[in-house]
Amino acid sequence: MSDWYSMNVVLIQTTLTTLLLALSIQVPIRFGVFSFAGVGAFGIGGYTAAIAMVHLGWTTWPSVALGAVISGIVVFALGLLVQRLTGLYMGMATIAFTLIISVLAVNGGELTGGAGGLYGALGEIDTGHILAILAVVVAVLVWTETKGMGRRIDTVREDPELANSVGIDVVKYRLASFALSGVIGGLAGGITTLLRSTITPAEVNFHLVIVALTAIIVGGARSWLGAFIGAVIFVWLPTMISFVQEWEKVVYGFIVAVAAIYLPNGVLGVVKDLIHRFRTRQERARLAVLQEKG
Amino acid sequence: MADTAVRTTTALLAVEDVAVHFGGVKAVDGISLEMHQGNIYGVLGPNGSGKSTLLGAMTRLTPLTRGRFLLDGVDYTKVPARKVHRMGISRTFQTVRLLDDRSVRDNILLGQDTLPKQTRKAAAMQVDEVMERVGVREVAQLRPDELSYGMQRRVEFARAIIGRPRLLLLDEPTAGMNTAERKEIGKLMRQLCDEGITQFIVEHDVEMMVDTCDYLFAMNVGKLIAEGDPHDVVRHPAVQEAYLGKGAASGA
Repeated sequence: MSDWYSMNVVLIQTTLTTLLLALSIQVPIRFGVFSFAGVGAFGIGGYTAAIAMVHLGWTTWPSVALGAVISGIVVFALGLLVQRLTGLYMGMATIAFTLIISVLAVNGGELTGGAGGLYGALGEIDTGHILAILAVVVAVLVWTETKGMGRRIDTVREDPELANSVGIDVVKYRLASFALSGVIGGLAGGITTLLRSTITPAEVNFHLVIVALTAIIVGGARSWLGAFIGAVIFVWLPTMISFVQEWEKVVYGFIVAVAAIYLPNGVLGVVKDLIHRFRTRQERARLAVLQEKG
Repeated sequence: MADTAVRTTTALLAVEDVAVHFGGVKAVDGISLEMHQGNIYGVLGPNGSGKSTLLGAMTRLTPLTRGRFLLDGVDYTKVPARKVHRMGISRTFQTVRLLDDRSVRDNILLGQDTLPKQTRKAAAMQVDEVMERVGVREVAQLRPDELSYGMQRRVEFARAIIGRPRLLLLDEPTAGMNTAERKEIGKLMRQLCDEGITQFIVEHDVEMMVDTCDYLFAMNVGKLIAEGDPHDVVRHPAVQEAYLGKGAASGA
């Protein structure tokens, strides 16, 4: 186990940070908001943490925390600005936000290191630290997925008019999703940057949107567990299919296409459906027995 | 039966000169009516007469062009839709609107999620009783898309009543149900009425409306054309004309 861990520590840590990034995109989607601002938050969190360490001499965790708070505030402010947009328009506006962050990083002079990026921000982070942060994030997300809060968020996503009619403040929930997405994206960016000791504008780009989206499409968009499954699949896939060599991207694209067409709720959705079907069969059998007796 | 005795008191809901226009289309055009506590009111009218639009306006989901609504004498015309539920007005929709990924029980509990804490606690404790009354207790763990349309209607009905609203607005509550089920729901409406829940029903089924309602309104092209005792309203010449066309009233 220990040998396996040592050999795969980079992949394990990448899985965890990819999961954080995927969650930052999944959260607003679960609230019915087609926002990719989580990737911009990744950039803000990463640059803020790096600047705090390199220019201000801060230690690891205050730097990461500052990045998460600032990205949470900025993405919340973006939410205030774009909250009336829906669907593709919301998607375009938030992708533009991400690209603006990248442009700001290029033009940030000494503060951001310009096009070459910022170096030397090596934090003291190990897998245990990331797991601890993920545990807190997942605990919050589980709270948003279950019981009354889960019901209300599902209603905000599926039917905003129904949500209004049962007393749910749709705008408030959607704005909260922006803030939460910003904080989680900021954490992903801060941790990733301080693990690698560097961040460049090229890293804060559209490809991260694709990484996060494919993870939640394949894994499942309705639960953190789906994002986890997706992160595991896409971080470990290249090593699993290394035998296909230059066809790797084709295989990758094929898997995403198949998942999008045949698994609309991802791998997790299939598992949940199977469990529900099994339970339903038991429930119907119980009802049939009751009816016979009655 | 509903009326003269109670009309001296403040109306539970007063609708004053309400209009809802969509561009040049006058979906609702100057409706005024009153509803008093403990009665079942119904509104009849052919398709496109503005019944559902009026119901939507009452819950503030549909914006008003003019007029106002008063609940117990308090003007709530400018209150946002999300706060109307908390004021004690609950509704069902013309087309069933449920969360297909959630169980029947969860869908019903949604109706009490945003109510004040005490009301919420009491409602959550009564969820089994509500499911029993509406006839969905045995399918509590199933998902709505596994149920018949009539059963889905019942789930929506249960969601609307779980918080014990003061005014229950029902948009075609028995659509998709067979005769026996309609009678069952009609009986439940009467029980709820006896418990003090005032109801306002939009429905096409004239027989059901006459059997269930204490007082009937009739609408056509956005206007109120008759109101009063259900038997009188359905015989009213303007109502017959609206449903059957010109000449029907004189021929009837």
